[in-house]
Amino acid sequence: MEKLELMAPAGSFEALMAGIKAGCNSVYFGVEQLNMRARSSINFTLEDLKEITQIAKENNIKTYITLNTIVYDHDLRLMREIVDAAKESGINAIIASDHAVLNYCRKINMPAHISTQCNITNIEAVEFYSAFADVMVLSRELSLKQVADIVREIKRREITGPSGELVRIEIFGHGALCMAVSGKCYLSLHSHNASANRGACIQNCRRSYIVIDKEEGYELEIDNEYIMSAKDLCTIDFLDKIIDAGVSVLKIEGRGRSADYVYETTKCYREAIDSIYEGTYTQEKIEAWKQRLSTVFNRGFWDGYYLGRKMGEWSKEHGSSATKKKIFLGTGRKYFDKIKVGEFVMETHSLKIGDEVIITGPKTGVVKTKVEEIRVNDVPVNEVHKGTVFSIKVPEKIYPSDKLYKWVDVVQEKPITTEINS
Amino acid sequence: MKKQVRIIHYRQKCIGCNACVEAAEQRWRMSKKDGKSVLLGSKEKKGIYSAIVNEQEYESNLEAAKNCPVNIIKVEIIEKG
Repeated sequence: MEKLELMAPAGSFEALMAGIKAGCNSVYFGVEQLNMRARSSINFTLEDLKEITQIAKENNIKTYITLNTIVYDHDLRLMREIVDAAKESGINAIIASDHAVLNYCRKINMPAHISTQCNITNIEAVEFYSAFADVMVLSRELSLKQVADIVREIKRREITGPSGELVRIEIFGHGALCMAVSGKCYLSLHSHNASANRGACIQNCRRSYIVIDKEEGYELEIDNEYIMSAKDLCTIDFLDKIIDAGVSVLKIEGRGRSADYVYETTKCYREAIDSIYEGTYTQEKIEAWKQRLSTVFNRGFWDGYYLGRKMGEWSKEHGSSATKKKIFLGTGRKYFDKIKVGEFVMETHSLKIGDEVIITGPKTGVVKTKVEEIRVNDVPVNEVHKGTVFSIKVPEKIYPSDKLYKWVDVVQEKPITTEINS
Repeated sequence: MKKQVRIIHYRQKCIGCNACVEAAEQRWRMSKKDGKSVLLGSKEKKGIYSAIVNEQEYESNLEAAKNCPVNIIKVEIIEKG
């Protein structure tokens, strides 16, 4: 039986390495401006492709480029350049939604995946796109039963992609959900001229709103001001059902997220997938994974539409409900391989024994550790402050200029709620 | 004193959405080479493009700046003696 492929987001080299370290099977990322995170993620350039595929080869993972915005005539040349460069550098596939991209991929025999932007919700659509793609991301609004029916029908009808293999189905497993069907949202374009479908979403849906009757001027009583902000998708507690449905690829959303987010979410899902195949997927473990997932950015979790909910669940707060946050401390100077010690300069704040730290960098990805000993000029100390050069034990190799953060609990403040009276 | 308009374009961050062309067609074109917008008649210095244009173009280019979703267009009036 084919094992579920875990796909991690890579918005930077840090995030790419974090996903790899956490055990992803593949990564996806944007190049230049034609992708859905043109605004919020740094995005790689065409020059980076060779390095990325080299890293992927060394770590035995697949690489996919998202090229899934609306495409205009003036974009065609850049689009073709990206696809050509992807093919030349050995990128495994292009994730596309515009027919121009799919058409070009087919012309030059570059494998393509159908983006969730195409809103595939039925078997006939799968059959239609099978002329262009071997992997299809289904609409995020389907129930798991609908997903399972589509997979079963692909096998029954023997629908194959350009490679001659049966079409494989991918779904979103974790991360932010759009309030509009398959990301087809025009709010941001309407209010700020920033088209979500060109990767410039301003995220109007994440803001709080009041509803006022225009005729008589009274405010409607609503129990949640964040009326459009969907909670984040989390499927870790029913991953076994996703595997049973015959899904081949599980995507973690978050190209705009930090490396430590990618590391923690990918690691939790890696462990969960492995435990299902090993037969050790327990409620106890699920609770522990959920607790770990809630330490990084999240808007509260819900199970999306997979279990057949009628309506979305809405976040009650602005921004993240993460239970942990990172505080920047300083940068790395040296790493002593033999004794596994890293030397840093404390640029701000302080650090004491017992603190948890995160180190991130483009080659390092993410390293997490607990401080058990601090040395200044080789003398053990209990605490270090701004301006000091110090060293701590670091279990894995890190590099100069890597960033050191303290990983602390977030003191949850009570959200300010305003009573709305009619 | 003659009033003129300086337009500055931080081109690298352009996402190629075409909004500037729609607002000030005579001053902006979409490049078919890299899909980003081009400030016509501009000079480049360290990746930043700028052009000095007639006062009559102020409003349409101000609109272009306002409409740019990634805020990479600046328009200012300058006095030239």
